[in-house]
Amino acid sequence: MSKEKIKNSLKVGSDKDGYFGEYGGIAAGENLMKNLEELKAAFQDAIKDKKFLDEFAYYCKHWIGRPSPIYFAENLTKKIGGAKIYFKQEHLNHTGSHKPTNTLFQVLLAKRMGKKKIICESGAGQHWSAAAATAAKFSMPIFGVMGDIDVKKVNQNIIKAKHYGGKLKVVPGALREAITFAIKEWSNNPDYYYLIGSTCSSSPFVDIVRYAQSIIGKEMREQFMELEGRLPNEIIGCAGSGSNFTGSMFEFLDEPKIKKVVVEAEETAALTNGTKGIQQGMVTKFLQSDDGSKSLGGSSLGSGIMYYGISPQLAHLNDIGAIEASTASDKELLETYKLVAQNEGIGISFEPAAAITEALKRAKGKPKDYIICVTACGRVEKDLDVIEELIGKDFE
Amino acid sequence: MIAYFVACYPSFEKSLELIKKSIDAGVNICELGFPTQEASGEGIVIKKAHDHCLERSVSLKDTIKLAKAVRDYNKDVGIVLMGYMSNIFRYPIDKFVKDLASVDADGCLVVDAPHELREENQLRNALNKENLSMIKLVAPTTTDERLKKLSSIFSGWVYSLNFSGISGSKSADLEQVKSMIKKIRNYTSLPICSGFGIKTPEDAKKIAQTGCDGVIVGTAIVDFIEKNIDDKNLPEKVGNIIKNFVKHL
Repeated sequence: MSKEKIKNSLKVGSDKDGYFGEYGGIAAGENLMKNLEELKAAFQDAIKDKKFLDEFAYYCKHWIGRPSPIYFAENLTKKIGGAKIYFKQEHLNHTGSHKPTNTLFQVLLAKRMGKKKIICESGAGQHWSAAAATAAKFSMPIFGVMGDIDVKKVNQNIIKAKHYGGKLKVVPGALREAITFAIKEWSNNPDYYYLIGSTCSSSPFVDIVRYAQSIIGKEMREQFMELEGRLPNEIIGCAGSGSNFTGSMFEFLDEPKIKKVVVEAEETAALTNGTKGIQQGMVTKFLQSDDGSKSLGGSSLGSGIMYYGISPQLAHLNDIGAIEASTASDKELLETYKLVAQNEGIGISFEPAAAITEALKRAKGKPKDYIICVTACGRVEKDLDVIEELIGKDFE
Repeated sequence: MIAYFVACYPSFEKSLELIKKSIDAGVNICELGFPTQEASGEGIVIKKAHDHCLERSVSLKDTIKLAKAVRDYNKDVGIVLMGYMSNIFRYPIDKFVKDLASVDADGCLVVDAPHELREENQLRNALNKENLSMIKLVAPTTTDERLKKLSSIFSGWVYSLNFSGISGSKSADLEQVKSMIKKIRNYTSLPICSGFGIKTPEDAKKIAQTGCDGVIVGTAIVDFIEKNIDDKNLPEKVGNIIKNFVKHL
């Protein structure tokens, strides 16, 4: 399906002001405006450069190990009784999540821009370990910021990133606080490259991350055509702010018959329970106090889906009915983790457990030729300690 | 001299008292910062004061009340509300502007609202209709091209940032400040006020000699309040500090 043929295609980036409908834009301080303008120009230039794109494709294949396979979860499908459940196995990528695709793209972009140093934030540490690995590979010094709540939970990623040479600053809080701190550091050092991990920030970051991650959906199209001779009926992904879900479904946005379902942590479901606001550099939906002075929302076991905002593009697509939103509770994350481990021999992290929870609910009772593809965006290593502590007994 | 205060810090009454003393001591324009959790442009000192106020549920409404009390005390002093889009957007924008006009404030300055943001345009248009100013910032990283665009929307005065970074984090480089003021002067006839990195009256004196029309002191004042929060004579002492700054200008 070519883009030219589609009127009002949804497979587009932000408009000239960086908005998706009424969300997005740039709500940043004056001292960052030059950086953001430079970044936008550099991004638009880079994606026209065949040599740059070839280099990205080369390292995607040989360093990350893309394409990540799709996998028919036959035992789960039988157990649930209904639709065929497929996993898009993003956890098999190098560093164990969908994150290195984005860090690879942006580190190559940073190098192309002549940047000498990188700063980034992270929630679950998946972005941090991927960013540190990529920075090591391309010889760039990197400085990361994470909240202490998350650091306690995801020790493995912290250790890995340290071994790759990343320097980590721990601030009180979680992803929200990490982003705020990283942006402040970037304000103080505008010559750094700010390597954002997800689709929640000022324009053009939302477009950059989506561009890199939309490889997930492109691979899915090819893989399903090859294996099933058709495309899935539903695509499901979890979202903290939205990079793996956006990357999974963007390719199919002009195919309304394919349902696209995003799953947030019940405790921090900005898309379902949030209100429109302007924070963290953009207009989007947030869990916030009525007067916009404070953020709201509880905590989730899934650090990577524990965020009080949502991608402005997803906020827009949800408003116009192009995607659906759902939530999963901590209890469900644990149950789904156990189910997947015991039936498929795959250890997924808490974040994709949210998406798989929804997939299992939707698969039940559906016709046998109905296909649901759910993106498994992370492996369990980072969560093992928490799981052992909470439900370790269940496995004895 | 322009002084930045975190509105209602440490409390509505004390905040009003110390602002009154500051006006008596010679402050020309009061920036009243309304608290927000993110405060992405603020360093540790100002952020801590914001958090103090948020814990006591101080809102933008309280800041507007404070602005009214300041106006009741002095009809000539400039009053500018300073903060972030989040609070104004939720207020919402039109009501904020109406309330600002009704308490006879002079305008507002929004840290995270570049003119590229549509909501900034809404706010600026609404302010202009009420004859209020949207104070714009210029940073060392602002390009000539942007400055040209900004020059058509400057209103009231221009806030020239002495360094790229968050409040209170660095010192000002005099040569850089000088050349920045000169650069901005090419684009506007409005007063140019220089802020960030002015920690002592001596700093203020040096900055005043760079060709700017005013100096802005923020973190130094908030820091003093923070360190003397329980002092019974806090308002008088803040007044004395301001006096010392003004004397050096």
